[in-house]
Amino acid sequence: MIFRNIRFKLTLWYIIILGLILTSFSTFLYFTLSRSLYHGIDLKIKSIAEVIASSSTNPYSHYSFSTIDRMLEDSFGLKPVTKFIQVLDESGRVGSKSENLQHFQLPISLLTLKNASQGKVTFETTKAFGKYPLRMVTVPVIRRRRIINIVQVATSLEEVEEALRTLWLILWITVPSALVVASLGGLFLANKALKPVDEITKTARLITSKSLDQRIRLRKTKDEIGRLAETFNDMISRLDRSFKQIRQFSANASHELRTPLTILKGEIEVGLRKRRRLEEYRKILTSNLEEVNHMGRIVDDLLFLSKADMGEVHLQKKPVDLAQLVSEVYAQAKMIAMRKGIHVQMSNDGDVAVVGDRLRLRELLLNLVDNAVKYTPEGGEMRISLERNDQQVTLRVMDTGIGIDPQDQPHIFDRFFRVDKARSREAGGSGLGLSICKWIVEAHGGEISVESDLGKGSMFRVTLPPTPPHT
Amino acid sequence: MRILVVEDEKKVASFIKKGLEEEHYAVDVTHDGEEGLALAQTNEYDLVVLDIMLPKLDGMEVLRQIRSDGLDVPILILTARDSLEDIVGGLDSGSDDYLTKPFSFAELVARVRALLRRRMKEKTDLLEVGDLTLSLSTHRVKRGGREIELTAKEYGLLEYFMRNPNRILTRTLIAEHVWDYHFDPSTNVIDVYVNYLRKKIDQGFEKKLIHTVRGSGYMMKDEP
Repeated sequence: MIFRNIRFKLTLWYIIILGLILTSFSTFLYFTLSRSLYHGIDLKIKSIAEVIASSSTNPYSHYSFSTIDRMLEDSFGLKPVTKFIQVLDESGRVGSKSENLQHFQLPISLLTLKNASQGKVTFETTKAFGKYPLRMVTVPVIRRRRIINIVQVATSLEEVEEALRTLWLILWITVPSALVVASLGGLFLANKALKPVDEITKTARLITSKSLDQRIRLRKTKDEIGRLAETFNDMISRLDRSFKQIRQFSANASHELRTPLTILKGEIEVGLRKRRRLEEYRKILTSNLEEVNHMGRIVDDLLFLSKADMGEVHLQKKPVDLAQLVSEVYAQAKMIAMRKGIHVQMSNDGDVAVVGDRLRLRELLLNLVDNAVKYTPEGGEMRISLERNDQQVTLRVMDTGIGIDPQDQPHIFDRFFRVDKARSREAGGSGLGLSICKWIVEAHGGEISVESDLGKGSMFRVTLPPTPPHT
Repeated sequence: MRILVVEDEKKVASFIKKGLEEEHYAVDVTHDGEEGLALAQTNEYDLVVLDIMLPKLDGMEVLRQIRSDGLDVPILILTARDSLEDIVGGLDSGSDDYLTKPFSFAELVARVRALLRRRMKEKTDLLEVGDLTLSLSTHRVKRGGREIELTAKEYGLLEYFMRNPNRILTRTLIAEHVWDYHFDPSTNVIDVYVNYLRKKIDQGFEKKLIHTVRGSGYMMKDEP
């Protein structure tokens, strides 16, 4: 459980990495120091041994074996009290010793003696006497290919070992305590950095589809957390909007379906309350059929729009001869309009092509024409025009109908928006026609707009991108 | 009993009118709030069936104005709005009942009957004057245990008489409560129907129930 906690994970990683660095640093320090200390000792005893060896072979030397200490004092300027020195003859017998070796003698192994007899210098660490081991060098003195003497110089390793032991101790204490301090610090930092995340989590947990009005309190700083909170708030706002839209949409949809349902239920119930004449039944059934058709249209349109919203409506985009399509719809419009005595005109540039879905474009045109007929009183006029220039194809459907109130104009493409719900229903509209038109136009990369004078008429304008030259 | 139906959806209004008329009510229909309010203010209705979403004047506004004018006609709200807030709001604004669409016509008729009964301070379904009885739900009329067949208009007229016994009912009152607004008061239709009703109710009985009050109108009473 605790490992799911990001602050512990962060701290743990932090400690592991810091621990690795400190350990390798300490190890490196310890071994480097130890090597250089031992090396220094070796150099020192070897140089003393060489001085003694050279003086013992010098025929002009005034020194004798008994005065090694004085000789060293002359050579090095101080009395090497901590050094043990002894000189042996070639067979290994002790010739002379330094003063501090009065009661002891330095050991010499067979191997060292053999090495010396071959003229080799031997370094060794021995535990001859005392608490601390001795570092010892054995140097043969060779004159004319003959071994004259063997010089042994040794020194106690006390200082080196003490120094290394102290370092070892210091490292053992400081590295773990550094890690403890670092982990506390790391935890504190992680806590501090992650506290706002906890706040965000708390708020987010409180938010459900019914409380989307809640927001995370924004901090003033624009750091990562601030940006996260801001992004989160944006997301909630978007969710809120779409939830509201969905709720509004389903409320509207159910209301739309409720009216025909009320009529169906009521008419059938009243019809069944007593025995009636055949003519009356026929009237009821005709009206029922009308309502069923109306419901069918609403359901179809709803289904289309929800599919469109989910991106499941796929356009079959091909080059479409828009001019020909407009002519077709014009012929149809004339027939519909004739019943209401509406005069229809068309102005068509001819040879206007766009890339699009022919069926959908036809639906768009029919919807617009149908609307124009619905809202134009008898004896009115209607005009369809199509023109193109280099930038766009423009299609207009104009009528001399009742027009749209300026305050309603921005809403007419909204779903279920109706300027006059009774009139629209009687005309058989689903309240979704213009929303579908808008969707079709936008899916083709175009725009739809309306201009209208209340009582004088309306003009719907659709602009579409023209066929690109290479197709 | 005369009912005003304010409903903008013409087909809904039409089947309610037809159904209620077949229940022997006189029904006036209007499709907008303004006209609905004007009719309710100028006529003495026994009940108003009111939609909420109406053109020209919202149903809630019609309701408030009727109540602020001091009219206590029972009002039944009939609407597609079915949220709790809407129902509570509608009842609190002075309506007497609330029915949501789609509704069952039988339920609407039962509620209309209940509201009218409450208005008339009647407790049961059966109206009685002497040995004459009328069932409001089954529309069966009996005198002395013998069933009497009546036409819709005759039934409506009798129901009005029986709801107001021992009270002088003028021709104007009768026209307002039994006929709808297409009634032409210059004709003698009321007298003709009262005579039809007399023949069916009183003929062959010692005790007459429907009396003519000279110069005023008619009265139903048990005593001679």
